[in-house]
Amino acid sequence: MQEISTGPSESQLIRLAADGDARAIRQLYDRYSPRVYAVVRRIAGDDDLAQDYAQEAWIRAIRALPTFRGDARFSTWLHRIAVNAALQALRKSETRKKQEGPVPEQVLVAPRGGDALLQQRLERALDELPYGMRRVLILHDVEGYTHEEIGDTLGVTSGTSKSQLFKARAKMRDMLTALDGAAQESGAEAWSI
Amino acid sequence: MEHLNTEILARLVDQTPQPEEAAHIAECEACSAELEAIRSQTDALRSLPEIRPPQGDWHGLEARLRSEGLMNDPGRFRRIGLAQTPGWMRAAAAAVLFLSGAGAGALLTSPEAPESLGDLAMPSSAATFATSTSVEAAATAVRVAEQNYVAAITRYQQLLISESGVEAGSDPMSRMAALEYLATVSQAAVRQAPGDPYLNGFLVSVLGEREATAQLVASRSNWY
Repeated sequence: MQEISTGPSESQLIRLAADGDARAIRQLYDRYSPRVYAVVRRIAGDDDLAQDYAQEAWIRAIRALPTFRGDARFSTWLHRIAVNAALQALRKSETRKKQEGPVPEQVLVAPRGGDALLQQRLERALDELPYGMRRVLILHDVEGYTHEEIGDTLGVTSGTSKSQLFKARAKMRDMLTALDGAAQESGAEAWSI
Repeated sequence: MEHLNTEILARLVDQTPQPEEAAHIAECEACSAELEAIRSQTDALRSLPEIRPPQGDWHGLEARLRSEGLMNDPGRFRRIGLAQTPGWMRAAAAAVLFLSGAGAGALLTSPEAPESLGDLAMPSSAATFATSTSVEAAATAVRVAEQNYVAAITRYQQLLISESGVEAGSDPMSRMAALEYLATVSQAAVRQAPGDPYLNGFLVSVLGEREATAQLVASRSNWY
């Protein structure tokens, strides 16, 4: 029977990383960077900003690691830090970079189902959503936040969160329908939800 | 009743419809289909995959973590598994390479390596340093030097063990003499290049090791 070598546990990695251990930090990064990058990328709506926000999120997380007590799962804790870092950074920037030209090809990993074309169109439509709607839609429909959690995170009432969400879903529906129509006109593979 | 607008249908994805809304959806195929489409859209959003960061993302983060003091360098000796190598031995290997350029390093690492420490003659000529013409060439030279350095430590340790039959460094008086020699040489080297961080680090290492050895010798006065 082949012996299975096991590396350090997550709690060990976290302790080592809190002490500044380079290998432990790298392992945490390798494990969680796709998730961190995904959420900040969608909130940012832009690749360049996303890289800055992801880096800021990691810096904050590593700095705060000594205070991580394990009350929540590490992934959840890190995810909250990433969301807050991205939202704060976006608030600070007076004007968001408008995306020009085609959406850069992203390397999607670990698909949870669905086809790549659908996911690509969803990402594109998300990028085009107005910022206020987008952040609520991402937090609720992509990340699974409740309206109360969104209210706490964004400093709005849960009623505002709901209102923004319904507007965002409707806008997404319109944009996806338009994208589908354009694809059919150009002879590309039709897609509809 | 008119069709329900998209925003209302978007609400009905996860909220209970009013009685009149429910009645309309039950009768209107268009609104029913539209509601189903928005539900599918919401499900698809929930299934969006993770996104791998762009290449180079880690390097940028690593640089910043180091600059902010949040990440420690494991150190060259820890990285290459020689953390337990005595400091004086590292210094000896470095001195061999420093004094002889590539020559002694090659001697220590080549198949024709000396059979004993006595065969390892230090060249009397000054060290020969290659002049790098580009950053890339300089980086290559540093990598090669580091590989030679590591190989030299290993070989030097083997020679010491084969001569003494015990673990190297067990004779404090011999260590003291070797360290005195290394201290003199490295002080001369630092005078030549006072701003060189490697030479300064090397000198500090030698002086520290010499001090530790001197204390050890003093604490065992019955050796005399």
